[in-house]
Amino acid sequence: MIIPIRCFSCGKVIADLYEQYVELISTPQNAAGEPMSDGQAMDTLGLNRYCCRRMVLTHVDLIEKLLRYNPAERDIIKLNNQR
Amino acid sequence: MPSWAPLSKEELAKARAPLSEEQLQQRRMVRINAETVTDTSATDIPGHWGPGQDDSWNLERFRKSLQITFHQNKPLDATFSLIGVDASIANAFRRILIAEVPTLSIEEVFMLDNTSIIQDEVLAHRMGLIPLIGGHEGLRWLRRFEKAPPKDDFAAQAKYDPDDVEDNAKTPNDHNTIVLELDVTCRWANEKEDGRDGRKLAKEGSTDPTEKYINSNVYAKQLVFKPQGEQVSMFAGENAIRTANPDILIAKLRPGQRIKLSCHCIKGIGADHAKFSPVATASYRLLPHIDITQPILGADAKKFAKCFPKGVIGLEHDAESGQEKAVVIDPMKDTVSRECLRHDEFKDKVKLGRIRDHFIFSVESTGQFNSDELFLDSIRLLKAKAEKFKRHLTELEEGR
Repeated sequence: MIIPIRCFSCGKVIADLYEQYVELISTPQNAAGEPMSDGQAMDTLGLNRYCCRRMVLTHVDLIEKLLRYNPAERDIIKLNNQR
Repeated sequence: MPSWAPLSKEELAKARAPLSEEQLQQRRMVRINAETVTDTSATDIPGHWGPGQDDSWNLERFRKSLQITFHQNKPLDATFSLIGVDASIANAFRRILIAEVPTLSIEEVFMLDNTSIIQDEVLAHRMGLIPLIGGHEGLRWLRRFEKAPPKDDFAAQAKYDPDDVEDNAKTPNDHNTIVLELDVTCRWANEKEDGRDGRKLAKEGSTDPTEKYINSNVYAKQLVFKPQGEQVSMFAGENAIRTANPDILIAKLRPGQRIKLSCHCIKGIGADHAKFSPVATASYRLLPHIDITQPILGADAKKFAKCFPKGVIGLEHDAESGQEKAVVIDPMKDTVSRECLRHDEFKDKVKLGRIRDHFIFSVESTGQFNSDELFLDSIRLLKAKAEKFKRHLTELEEGR
């Protein structure tokens, strides 16, 4: 769902690298305006072992989808309507 | 003559003669052949090399042969060679590093409010895995909190004796527990406080949550250290307990959701839970050894170099034949893939092996202590264990 704090196999902290990783592979990084390749991005972040690499490479950030359903938001709207 | 017949004088002298440097080197090798690995077990057992040889363990000789050289020494990543010890000792260090060096970690999380979509237990687990750092002196000063095992854990109950535990260690107090707090509420960005209207941005089609909301991401740096009692002076200023990686993403929130919790951190060991392990990885490998027995020349030399990772084999001008000759430059980079043994032209010209007592350690700390410091800690712990074992042995002897 959300990026795990550590690599399952070796215990390296990866939760702080995921946002940087997404940034590197989705925004222009070189003069030609191309984003970095997945492998290159992982190399720059210091993910050397294949256990840590699969953690960020294969992660699906499902929490973004679940965050669309926010009961707290409904409460806020209700409160505003009562006023 | 039968094999058990007493040796003649000459034979005895030959057997007792000191070994040449080359012979000693040969004895350190683990041989790696095309499909087998031989000479894997240690040979420093008295009597291993036959009668008449002095191969008893000798402190002076051990002291001379023991060597530690650092290849890289960064706080979070250290690589060094440990030369001249048995595999069992090297493995003991590795296992102690992973499972027995005590570290500080979040153990108990008290949820005061959690309306985020991350469930309480998942959130608590995530909190536990966050590595903490702080002043080393304070961390060493901190004592263990010996929690009574749960009622239904009979194995732990049987081992647990409340009389063994100091009274001070039975309850959480400033000597054994660190308190961290987290209080984050997510809301829409508004013009007055943030200089931008999140709702307006949303209507305009903004998809960036950090722009529309405040505190949409909860980071480890938002944890607040609450020093208790003596901790005020022990963890003052830059020694304060904080997270090793401030940008760890703990949770994601949307407007109206809130996380308020308080954590108790205690000292523990990796054997209890992986979160207490001070290293991400601690591992070793044996130094590869490549022995080129007959010169490999010309085009063959180039092909030979390609059988190894870059930088292992180099080419040198050979005066005798006037051609390029393959030489070993850096065996440490080799992965021992044995690729060269698959080619008939190299089969009889090269011998592969590893050096049995040369361990290339790699220790990767999670941040609480420096990697080299951790290795020293592991030595200290092994020493303490040996002393404890010796004490038990004398007790056993006296009891007889």
